[in-house]
Amino acid sequence: MEDLLKPDYGVMVLTVCNFLLLVYLLKKFAWNGIIGMLEKREQQVANDKQEAQEARAAAENIKRDLDEKLAQISDEAAKKMAEAVKMGETQKEQILAAAKEQSERLIEQAKAQIEAEKNKALSDVRGEIARTAVLAASKVVQQQMSEESAQSVVDRVLEEVKAK
Amino acid sequence: MDVAEIISHHILDHDWGVTLAGFRLPVTTHTVTLLGISVVLLLGLHWISLGRQSRTGRLLTTLAEEYVSFIRDSMVLPNMGREGRGFLPYFCTLFLFVLFAALAGLVPGMRTATANISVTAALALCSGGLILYSGLKFHGVIGFLKGFVPSGTPGWLVPLIFPLEVVSLIIKVCVLAIRLFANMLSGHMVLICLLLIIFIVGQMHVAAGAGALIPAMGLEIFMTCLELLVAFLQAYVFTLLTAIFAGSVIHTH
Repeated sequence: MEDLLKPDYGVMVLTVCNFLLLVYLLKKFAWNGIIGMLEKREQQVANDKQEAQEARAAAENIKRDLDEKLAQISDEAAKKMAEAVKMGETQKEQILAAAKEQSERLIEQAKAQIEAEKNKALSDVRGEIARTAVLAASKVVQQQMSEESAQSVVDRVLEEVKAK
Repeated sequence: MDVAEIISHHILDHDWGVTLAGFRLPVTTHTVTLLGISVVLLLGLHWISLGRQSRTGRLLTTLAEEYVSFIRDSMVLPNMGREGRGFLPYFCTLFLFVLFAALAGLVPGMRTATANISVTAALALCSGGLILYSGLKFHGVIGFLKGFVPSGTPGWLVPLIFPLEVVSLIIKVCVLAIRLFANMLSGHMVLICLLLIIFIVGQMHVAAGAGALIPAMGLEIFMTCLELLVAFLQAYVFTLLTAIFAGSVIHTH
């Protein structure tokens, strides 16, 4: 058991040579290749990450621009809508005013026409009465009728006029 | 039954007695194991580094890249900084070498080479050489020696501090060897002792030996799992401490 702590210098030298040779050969035939692949992959990941960040920044810029445009369009739409409503109100008032004016004019025309028709009718009636009166007077003169009979004649004539 | 002899046989290295022109060659079980591990690592990692496009090739390449990334990002760069990049192949090899040397002991018929003080001392020597080389490479001889004296130390304390710091570094390197050796040795001693329980109790009475079989085997399996963990842990500790010590001479006080 005392051999446990007794160093074997031959084993030590051989182990050192073995290990250092292994380090050299692995560096030459393995680690350089593996480290190269790792660094290449890391570089690729870094590039992809940077590209992704740039793409994200670009996308955010586009989104911001679109948001601004959307807000602008919304404002313009709201403004145009308000203008259209206002214009509609104005036109409505104009149309109503025109319609009212036209209706009043038509009413006035109708009233005037009615008045004219009424006056014409009255004029016709007066003429007829006058003619009848002249006729009655001539009858009175011809027949020397009493006042009562004359009255009765006038009444009868008026009755006839009404009947017409 | 000589228990000490059985334990010794299980733990100690065995010289194969190879000589060349009357000169003894250090061909032992442990050196042959280490040579086998080196060949396996060399062939396996070289095959992986070719970057085969098969499913297994891609899987192993990814694993190797993750391994290198782990060694670089958790050990080398945090302790040695950017200056440590050049030493990355050394640390990658060191971790796998120590790990495989420990795991080899769990394979029936093979031995744990790191349970040999000569092997761990050799590995510690390599780490010591790396620490020395790092200091000399980045600071030169004078700068490296100045690094042993913390800045702001009064002049009259320098003769005391300087040898203390030098001895401290040497002790750190020696402790690397002793820690790995002791951990590996103790684990394997426990494993063989648990197996011996069956035979010792069996010598008293066959039925007692049979009764001890199941608990002893249960403990054996538990210890084997623990050894598996210890193998990874010790490889990690050895590599990490080498990186820390090398970093301490690169980035002095």
